[in-house]
Amino acid sequence: MTRLDFDPYSVLGLSQDASNDDIKAAYRRAARRLHPDVNRNPGAVVQFQDISAANELLSDTERRREYDRAPREVTDGLKFNFRLTPSRNHIALLPENQVFYLLAEIIPDRLAAEASNRKESRLNLTLVLDHSNSMNGARLERVKAATHQIIDQLNPEDIISVVGFNDFAEVVVPATTAADKPALKARVSMMGASGSTEILKGLSLGLEQNRKFLAPRLVNHMILLTDGRTFGDEADCLALAHEASKDGISISAMGLGQEWNDKFLDELAASTGGASAYIQTSSAVVKFMNDHVRSLANVFAERVTLSIAPDPDIRIESVFKLAPNPQPLPADVGAIPLGSLQVNRIISVLIQFELPSLERSGFRPIARLVCSGDIFGAKVQHHQIINEVAVELMDNAPQEEPPTAILDALGKLTLYRMQERAQVAAETGDIREATRLFENLATRLYELGQPDLAQQAQSEAEQVAYTKSLSDKGRKAIKYQTRHLLLAQAAGDNAE
Amino acid sequence: MRVCPFCATPNQEGVFYCKECGRRVDGTAATTVAPTREFKPSTDIFAVHATWGTARFDANSQIVMHVRDYTETITIKPEACTLLGRYDVGSSQRPDLDLTPFGALDKGVSRVHAAIYRNEDTDTLTLVDMGSANGTHLNGQRLIPDQPRVLRDGDEVRLGKLVAHIYFKH
Repeated sequence: MTRLDFDPYSVLGLSQDASNDDIKAAYRRAARRLHPDVNRNPGAVVQFQDISAANELLSDTERRREYDRAPREVTDGLKFNFRLTPSRNHIALLPENQVFYLLAEIIPDRLAAEASNRKESRLNLTLVLDHSNSMNGARLERVKAATHQIIDQLNPEDIISVVGFNDFAEVVVPATTAADKPALKARVSMMGASGSTEILKGLSLGLEQNRKFLAPRLVNHMILLTDGRTFGDEADCLALAHEASKDGISISAMGLGQEWNDKFLDELAASTGGASAYIQTSSAVVKFMNDHVRSLANVFAERVTLSIAPDPDIRIESVFKLAPNPQPLPADVGAIPLGSLQVNRIISVLIQFELPSLERSGFRPIARLVCSGDIFGAKVQHHQIINEVAVELMDNAPQEEPPTAILDALGKLTLYRMQERAQVAAETGDIREATRLFENLATRLYELGQPDLAQQAQSEAEQVAYTKSLSDKGRKAIKYQTRHLLLAQAAGDNAE
Repeated sequence: MRVCPFCATPNQEGVFYCKECGRRVDGTAATTVAPTREFKPSTDIFAVHATWGTARFDANSQIVMHVRDYTETITIKPEACTLLGRYDVGSSQRPDLDLTPFGALDKGVSRVHAAIYRNEDTDTLTLVDMGSANGTHLNGQRLIPDQPRVLRDGDEVRLGKLVAHIYFKH
C-alpha cells in the first residue's frame, strides 16, 4: 500500500465522519470538473491523481479504518497559509470572453520569525561558475571574491561544492561541509579563465555534486553564473533542470554582462523554482550573490509548489510570480515549482484566466488551487492547502474597485508585457510596432516617475527605428528593470 | 471589448490596463492620470483641458474644423484614413485635406503632416503624426510620431503653427 503524503479527507473536502455516500458524492463532484476526460489542463491532471487516490483509500472500508487508526504525526504547529484574492467578486454576464485575475499568496506562519529556538536551515549549495575566456580579468576576480564571501558566510555544517566550466567542467571544490574555510577559498582562488562556454557540462557536473548530499532536510540549491551563451545544448540543459526539480534541487541563474541568453536562463530557473537575475556590472556580483545566499539561510519551507486546475471551460492565460523574485512562470505544468518560502517573506503569484462567454447567473467555481511544500521545523513535514475560487455571476454586476494589490501589480506587469511584445515585434521584423511600443512604454514610464528607465526605452525605440534591431544591453536592462518595478512594490508590501 | 480612452486600442473585457499604452482602461479612467507624478497646477496641461468632449464618432458623423484666424470652416466626412497636409506642385501625393488655403506654407505644415483614422469597430477617431517636421500637438501636448491618440469633440489640434479646433457634428 502506498502511503499518502496528504490528508485524503481534506482532498475530497470531507470531515472524518463522512459516510460512504458522502465520499461517493464528493468524488463525483470533483470528477465532473477535473477528470482528464473533461479537463485537459495539466494542473487538473495532477490534482485528479490525488483525488482518485484519496477516493480509492476512503471507499475501501478496510483501508479507511486502517488509515483512521494509524497514529498521526505530531506536528509542531507551524504552518503556512494560502490566501486568494480575486480581481472581482461579481462578474458581469457577457456574450464575449473576459479576463479574470487571481492573486495567490503563500504566507509563512507569523510565529516562525519569532520562534527563537528555530535553527537556521542547513544549506546544500552548489556554485556552478563560468570561467570561459570572456570572464577573464575583473569579472572572474569579482566572482572569486563573491565565492569567498559566500564561503565565509556558511555555517560549518553547511555543504558546499564549486564546479567551474568552460568547454569542459571540473570540480573545483567537491561537495563537503564548510568546515575548513581557508582550504576551500584557496581552491577557488586557483581558477583561471580559458576556453568557451558550455553550460550543459557545468550543469550536469554541478548536479552530480549536489546530489551527493541531497536530502529533504536540506535546502538543496545550485547557483549558475555565466556571461555567455551556450550553443546547441539548451534543450538538454532544460531536461536536466526538470530532473533536478523532481529531486528537490532548485537552480538560480545569474547572467553577467550582455551576451548571455536571457530566455534560456529564465526558463531554466523558472522550471525549478529558482530565481533568474541580470547583473549589469561585475562590481555588483559580490553583493548580489551574498544577498541571494543569505536569503537561502532563512527558509521556512522548501519545494513549494502551486497547482492550478481551472474548470474545464476556463483557460489559464499566464502565471507570474510577483514576489520574492518577479519572474514569469510556466503555465503549462501541473505543479508549478515556486522554490523556497522564506521566514518573513510572502510568495505571491498573479494568475490570469480567460473566462468564456457567460450566460447563466449565480455562483460558479473558477478553479481549484493546491499549494504544498515541506516545512522545516523540528522535523520536515509535508503541508498541503487546498483552496477553491468561486465568483458570483450577475446580469448587472456592480462597479467594484479591484483590490489595490492586484491593481498595483497589474499596472507594472502591463509595462513588462509591453516590453515583451516590443521585443517580439522587433525580432519578427515589425519595426513600426516595436518602435511604437517602446515609445508608449517610455511615455508611461515618464508618467510613473521612472525617468531613467524611460530614457532607456526611448533610446531603444530610436535604436530599433534606425538599425532595425535591438541593442543587447538595452533590451536586457529594460526587461529586468521593468520586472524590478514589481520588486520595489513587493518590498513595500512587506514593510507594512 | 473595452476600448482604451487614451489610444482607442480595443482590449479584452475584464482587463484593467491597456495593453497598448499601459494606462487604466476601466472605470473613470479619463480622470486617473499618472498617479505617482505630481503636476504643478499652473503648468498642468491636463487641468487646462479638463473638460473633454465625447470621443464617440459614428458612421454618420462629420468633422467640423475651425482654423484660427479664418472665418470659413472645413467640414469633412472622414474615410478610414484622412491625410492632412499641404499640396505642393512637386509632391507625388495629394493630401485628402489640403491646408494650403489656410496659410499652411507659412505656418510650417508638412506635405504629409498628420492623419485622422476612423475606427469602425470602436466608433472613434484617432490622430496620428506622420513624422512631420514641426510636429503635431493635441491639446498642447506634442504627439510622438506614429503613436495614435484619441480625438474628441472640442479638441485643439496644432500642425506646426496652424491651430485648429475640431468639433463633431452628429
